[in-house]
Amino acid sequence: MTAVRSLLPLVMAIVFLCERGAAQSPDRFDHWQHRNLFPRCSSCHAGVTAAGRALWPTAADCADCHDGSVEADVDWQPPSAPPRTNLRFTHGMHADAVRRATTGDSALTCESCHSESRGRMRVRLAVVQSCLNCHQIRTAHLSAPDTSCATCHVSLAAATRLTREDVAEFPAPPSHERAGFSFELHGKLARGEGKRHEVSAACATCHARDFCSECHVNAPEVPVIQALAPDPRSTAHDAELTAPESHHDPGFLFQHGGQARRSPATCATCHTQESCLTCHIERSATVRALPAAGPGRGKGAVVARGRPRSHGVDFSEIHGPVADSRPQSCEGCHVRPQCLDCHRPNPADATPGYHPAGFLSWHPASAYSRETSCGDCHNTGQFCADCHVKAGLSPRGELNAGFHDAKRSFLLGHGQAARQNLESCVACHSERDCLSCHSAQGGRRFNPHGPGFDAATLRRKNSQMCTTCHGAAIPGGGAP
Amino acid sequence: MIRHARNALAALAGVSLLASSVEAQGYRLRLDTRGQAAAYRGVRADSVPVTDVVLTPTGGFQTADGLFVRCPTGATHCFLFRPGPYRQGGPLVTSADLTLWGLGTRGLSVRVNGRAGLDLGDNDSWPGTDPPIQLIEAYAEYAPRGVTARVGRQLLSNRLGIVGVDGGRALVRSGRLGLTAEGYFGWGLARATALSVSSSALDPLDDFQPRRRQFVAGGAVGWTGRHANVRLDYQREVERESRQFASERAAISAELRPHSRWSLTAGAEYDLANTWFGTAEATLRYTSPWLTALAGARQYRPHFDLWTIWGAFSPVPYHAVNASVWLRPIPRLELRGRWEQYAFSAAEAETPLVDVDDDGWRFSAGASFSPDQVWTFDLGYREEYGPGASSHGVEASVSATPLPTLTLTAYGSTLDRPLEFRFEEAGVDVIGLDAEWRRSDRLRFALGGAHYSTDRRRPDASGFDWNQTRLHARVTLHFGTGADYAPLPRAVRPQRRAGS
Repeated sequence: MTAVRSLLPLVMAIVFLCERGAAQSPDRFDHWQHRNLFPRCSSCHAGVTAAGRALWPTAADCADCHDGSVEADVDWQPPSAPPRTNLRFTHGMHADAVRRATTGDSALTCESCHSESRGRMRVRLAVVQSCLNCHQIRTAHLSAPDTSCATCHVSLAAATRLTREDVAEFPAPPSHERAGFSFELHGKLARGEGKRHEVSAACATCHARDFCSECHVNAPEVPVIQALAPDPRSTAHDAELTAPESHHDPGFLFQHGGQARRSPATCATCHTQESCLTCHIERSATVRALPAAGPGRGKGAVVARGRPRSHGVDFSEIHGPVADSRPQSCEGCHVRPQCLDCHRPNPADATPGYHPAGFLSWHPASAYSRETSCGDCHNTGQFCADCHVKAGLSPRGELNAGFHDAKRSFLLGHGQAARQNLESCVACHSERDCLSCHSAQGGRRFNPHGPGFDAATLRRKNSQMCTTCHGAAIPGGGAP
Repeated sequence: MIRHARNALAALAGVSLLASSVEAQGYRLRLDTRGQAAAYRGVRADSVPVTDVVLTPTGGFQTADGLFVRCPTGATHCFLFRPGPYRQGGPLVTSADLTLWGLGTRGLSVRVNGRAGLDLGDNDSWPGTDPPIQLIEAYAEYAPRGVTARVGRQLLSNRLGIVGVDGGRALVRSGRLGLTAEGYFGWGLARATALSVSSSALDPLDDFQPRRRQFVAGGAVGWTGRHANVRLDYQREVERESRQFASERAAISAELRPHSRWSLTAGAEYDLANTWFGTAEATLRYTSPWLTALAGARQYRPHFDLWTIWGAFSPVPYHAVNASVWLRPIPRLELRGRWEQYAFSAAEAETPLVDVDDDGWRFSAGASFSPDQVWTFDLGYREEYGPGASSHGVEASVSATPLPTLTLTAYGSTLDRPLEFRFEEAGVDVIGLDAEWRRSDRLRFALGGAHYSTDRRRPDASGFDWNQTRLHARVTLHFGTGADYAPLPRAVRPQRRAGS
C-alpha cells in the first residue's frame, strides 16, 4: 500500500502529461495544501497501479471533507473520457516499470517526473524533458532523432482520439525550416534509414498519406507515401506548395518543355496532365507521361493560364517575327481562332482586345503615324474606305473641296504628306482622284515618282500598272 | 461566296457522317454571336454659290449659317462640309469555328471557320458585314510525323503577312535537325479579308480593281535550334489575266537566344518588284522575374499590290528607335512604359506652300495594381506627336472579379487629338462598362456599353455634336474537347480575368 501511495504523484503527472497532449487545463487541485492528508499518490489515483480501479478520485471522495460544513463544497468531477493524445505511454506500463524499479535499486518514483525539488506533493505537470532524460535522448524534444519519436508517440493514424484541430496544433520541428526541406530534403528524411518501401516513423508521427497526396499527385505510385496509412486528419496541416527555384528563371517557360520531356517523373511529383492542358492544346506524349487528374489523386500544383514573361510588354506589337520564325512554339498554347480574332476581326466585336477600349477615338493619330500596319488585319477598302465613305469623308471626285482646311494650300503642297502617309490617303481617296493631276496622259501631268522608284524593275514586273498613267507610251519601252 | 460556303458545309457534313462511326473521333466547335448597336455622324459635302458666302473677320469665307467654305479661284461655287445625317449601325455576326480529328486516319483533321453577318442598322452602314456569309477557312489537313499537308481555303501566316489562299500547302520538317521547308500555291484572297480582290465589297471608292483573283505561290525554309531560329520566306502573287506580278517579296525572320534572359529578334521584308526594303525591325529583349526591357530599331514602309498605282507614288519609310520597360517591383504591381522616336526619309516633295511634319514620337506609361484576387486597377497615359495627327490623354480602368465566373470592368479615358491638316481639335471623353460571365466552360456571355462625349473645337459652326453611345453583347458556346475554353489574357493590358 505504501508503494502504491508513493506512486500517486507520478500517476497524476502522467495524467496531466496526457492531458497536455490534447486539451490542457489548469491544475485546480492544490496538492501541497493536502500533503498531510494523502501520504501516498494512490490514495486518490488508485487506478494507476490497480487494474480496474478508477484513475481519478470521485466527487464523493472529496466530499468526505468538502461537505459544506467541515470544508466548503467543491464541484470536482473526474474526466469521463480517456485523454486525447498520441502518446504511447500508459499508466499500467509505467506502473509496472516503477514497481519493478522500486523493488530493485532504481530511484524512479512519482516524484521523479512530477514533483518539484522542494519535496513530495510539490506536484507539477510532467515535462517532456523528463521523458527525454529517462529515455536517454540528449536533444530538444523536436530535434530528437527520427528513431526516437516512436519511443513515446504512436503514429497519427493510430492516435484515433485526436481531432483534426488537435493535429493542426502540432508544432513543426526545426528540420522543416531547413533550406531545401520543401523539395528534395523532406523526401530523403521520409525515406529515413529503414527499408526501401518504409517511411520514417518520425514523419508518421504527425503525417499520413492524405497530407502527402495534397502535393504529390503521383502519390499512388510512390511506395514511401503508400507506406503511410491514410488519414484525412493529416490535411489539417497547411501544405503550401511553392514553386521550386528553377521555375522562377525567366527562361523557364521556354525551356520547360525540354525538361519535361527529359524527366517527366520530376514534373509528375506536383503536376497532373491538367497543369499542361491549362495552356497547351495537345495531349502530347510528354503530357501523357504525367498522371491524369482523378479520384484518389491530389490536385497538386494549380497552374494559372497567364501571360508568359516573354509576352510581358507590348508583345502584341512585336510578336510577328517570333511567330514567323518559330510558329510551332505558338501552336503549343494558341489555337487558330485566337489568331483570327485579331487578324480577321469580327465586324461586330466591340470588346477590348488588341485595341484598348475606346480606341475609336484614338485611331486617327494611330493610323496616321502607322505605329503598326493597319492593313495586316483590316482591308483598307472593306474597313477604312467603306466607313469613311459612309461618313462623308471621301471626296468622291472633288479634290479642292477644302476638307484639309487647316492648311490653306494643302492641295498644292500635299506631296510630302502623301508620301509619308499614303495608306491614310487611300483610306479616302481613289486612284482616279490622284490621276486627275498625276497622269502622263492628261490633267496637270505631275510626275508622282519619287525616291526609290525603280522604273525598269517595276516595268518588268508589271507593265500594266505603268499603262494606267502612261498608256501605251511607257518611258523606256516595254509592251503593256 | 454563298456557293462556296454551301459547298464547304456540304463537305463538312459529309466528313462528319463518314466519321460518325469512328471511335476516336474528336471535335472542337466554337459558336460565337456578337452584336453591336452604334450611332455615328459624319459630314456631307455641299456647295453654295459664291454670291451666298460672306467674308469673315479673319479674311476667309463662310456661309450665312457660319460654316467655312472653300472658294477656288474663278469658280462660281464654293465648297463646304455640312454636318452629316445620324447613322445607325447594328452589326450582328455569328461565327462558327470547327475542328474535326480522329477521322480514321491518324493525323487527318478538318477545319472550318466561317461567319454569317448582317447590319440591322440603316442603309447597311456598318463596314465588314457585306457579303453576309464569309468563309474564312475550310481545309483538310493531313499531318503524319514530319509532314503537314493542307488542301482548301486557308490562311498562310508568315513574315509577309497573313494571306488567304484557296489551294494547297505542304510542310516537311526534321525534328532532329530542326529544319523546316514548306511550299504553297493557290488562288489568293485580298489582303486582310476573306474576299477576293475582285469583290465589290472591297471597292467602296469605285476604284480600279482586278477582274479575277490572283495566283499565289511561295515557300519558306527554317531552322530552329536551342539558341536560335531563322526562317526565309519567298512569295509571289501573279495576276491571272495579265500574267504579271501583283507582288513579289522575300523576307527573313530570326531570333537569337544566347541566354535565358536575353534574346534578339529581327526581321525584314524585301520588295523584289520595287527593289526596296519594306518593314524591318530588330529588338533586343531582357527578361527577369521583375523586369522586362526592350530596345529596338525599325523601319516601316507600307506595301501596295502592283495592281494599284500607289507603289509608283514612292511611299517613303520612317525609321524609329524605341524602348519599353515592364517592371514588377512588388508582385501585385506592374509598371510599364514605352517610348519611340521616328523620322521619315526625305519625301523629296517638300514645298514652302505646306509645312508638314516629318518626324514624331510616341510615349506611354501606366501602372496596373491588383491588391487581391478580386480587384485590378489600371491607369495609363499616352501621348504621341506626329505628321497628320497627334493625341494625348489618360485612360483608367477598374476590373473586379467578385465571382470566379464573373468579371466586371469599368473604364474611362480622356483625350485630345489635334489634327494637322484639318481644324478638328477634338477632345473625347469615354466611359464604359463591360461584363463577362462564364456560365460554364462551354458557355460565356459578355455585355457592355460605352459613351463617347466629344468636344469639337472648330472655329466655325462645323463643330457639331458627335456624342454617341455604343452597346454590345456576345454569346460564346464551346462544344467538344479542348483547352481553348479559357480566354487568352488580354493582348494589350494584363488584367486579371475569371479563371486565370
